[in-house]
Amino acid sequence: MPELIQLENVGVIYNVHGHAPKQVLQGLNLTIQPGEFVAVCGQTGCGKSTMLRLILGAERPSSGRVLIEGCERPRPDRHRGYVPQKYSLFPDKTVLDNITFGPETEEFGLIGRLRPGFRRRREELREKAFGYLRQMGLQQSDAHKYPDQLSGGMQQRVAIAQALIMRPAILLMDEAFSALDPGTRADMQRLVRTLWQETGTTFLFVTHNIPEAVYLGSRIVVLGKDSPESSSRVLVDMEVPESARTASGYPNREELERLTRVIEDAALGGRLELEMAEFGG
Amino acid sequence: MLFRIDAKPNRLTAWTLSWFLFASGIALYFYTSNKRHIENPEDKVIPNLTQLSQGVTDAFLKPDTEEAAPEGLENASLPKKFLTSMLWTDTVASAKRFAWSMLLLIPAVVLGLHMGMFPVFGQFFLRFILFFDKIIALSVLPILFIAFGIDELAKIMLIVIGVTPTIILDTFNLTKSVPSEQVVKGFTLGAQDFGVAYSIVLKQILPRVLNSIRLNLKSIMLFLFAGEMIASQDGLAFRIALLRRHMGMNVIIPYVLWVALLLFLVDLTMRVTNRKLHPWFREA
Ligand SMILES: Nc1ncnc2c1ncn2[C@@H]1O[C@H](COP(=O)(O)OP(=O)(O)OP(=O)(O)O)[C@@H](O)[C@H]1O
Ligand SMILES: [Mg+2]
Repeated sequence: MPELIQLENVGVIYNVHGHAPKQVLQGLNLTIQPGEFVAVCGQTGCGKSTMLRLILGAERPSSGRVLIEGCERPRPDRHRGYVPQKYSLFPDKTVLDNITFGPETEEFGLIGRLRPGFRRRREELREKAFGYLRQMGLQQSDAHKYPDQLSGGMQQRVAIAQALIMRPAILLMDEAFSALDPGTRADMQRLVRTLWQETGTTFLFVTHNIPEAVYLGSRIVVLGKDSPESSSRVLVDMEVPESARTASGYPNREELERLTRVIEDAALGGRLELEMAEFGG
Repeated sequence: MLFRIDAKPNRLTAWTLSWFLFASGIALYFYTSNKRHIENPEDKVIPNLTQLSQGVTDAFLKPDTEEAAPEGLENASLPKKFLTSMLWTDTVASAKRFAWSMLLLIPAVVLGLHMGMFPVFGQFFLRFILFFDKIIALSVLPILFIAFGIDELAKIMLIVIGVTPTIILDTFNLTKSVPSEQVVKGFTLGAQDFGVAYSIVLKQILPRVLNSIRLNLKSIMLFLFAGEMIASQDGLAFRIALLRRHMGMNVIIPYVLWVALLLFLVDLTMRVTNRKLHPWFREA
């Protein structure tokens, strides 16, 4: 049985016009099992989004291999869902159409929508989408709004529904909540944690926020550099034992302190500056 | 008050201000016309009201030549007269060319989209179209007349050469400006290449593409008129050029205003259609 996600000695070099090539990641090794919730932290610019895009298949490594269930899949596909921080919804489609876009496209393609069965099937898909809307805590009346008529938190809820309706094996979220106010952010964290527990989907969640990582992750990975000149690799990789969590979902006091200390130690060693401030919980 | 950024003219002032130049322009026109007619009652350079209304009647209600008039036109109704009039036949002739050039913009948009979406496509065409874009369309007019003859094709090619590079490049840039997240998202939702190109990217940029076409209407008309003035047997610009030879100012002026009105209406229709078709679109 191959691993769900395996990064083997991955390196990424960017060639920026007029500059020396920049090695962003080097010798990155990471294995992720089905059902894990991996929270990825690290200083800004350390390559978290790059790693996510590698796993998505939106980008190819300059060296090493990225394996999904044992194969290289160098193109994004329906098995890997994606919730970016911005531009996650299609601005020209209503909330409902945003959510049904995936299943409709998959079943009918670009021109199959002219087929006779389409209308009936679309009604079914809409019913299903309403189910997801409710699960995400949205109102029926939001269904026919356009994305720019929604608040940031609502937009991210729709984006999660849009990704989940495809039942992806992996859901990749890139700083999905960092533009939200603390209260909304806490709500969204609870929602994501519940969804993870209920669906068993593997989550990869990039965040700057240590408490968020500690609350959400079943495992925490910190990316960073050993020195300012070097490239990023995995500095810390640790499990968060579920047994250490209290009823609120947070690890108990000692565990919380231990985790935070380990991350901050790594942060100091690798000159990370993780933001502690903006946690809302 | 005049140079205050925070000035808030009331409605009557605003109304007066915005119509003032129109009113004074018209007044100045008739004043000059009057003065010239006192010196020379036959003056044709600045026609007075009588001459203008004669010109309007001729243009709007009479056919170009006596032979073109159908039987019993004298007693026909006004709309019927209008539909056989010189102005209307010219408008139809120009509108046909205009419609053809608009149709030819569809492949231009598709090309721009494909260039932006598919890098191989882009590499293949981009440099060539950038080069093409720098060619002054009017400067190749003689070549066009030699290559395509002086009939319709040459005129439409003039518009194509003049306007399509702009539209292609605009569409290309708009396509490029769609965030990559949207494309990746499309793939993760099971779309294929064409699905992403057409049902995600094209749909998103379409209102902007239409806007860009709308802003280029004037160039389209400019090239259309250039073609018609130089080589044509009909059309609005052909008529204006023809009338110039016998100083038919009393018809030229109504023609010019008519063209402006038409362009305004086309622009308005496109704006309204755009808003109706894309209720989600907020102009940045
Ligand atoms: N397409 C690209 N071309 C050139 N350089 C790039 C490109 N994408 C990213 N980089 C560089 O790679 C480095 C890592 O970028 P990345 O976006 O992965 O960082 P990040 O950890 O996600 O940062 P943040 O926390 O700010 O989102 C940055 O220094 C960035 O400048
Ligand atoms: Mg990032």
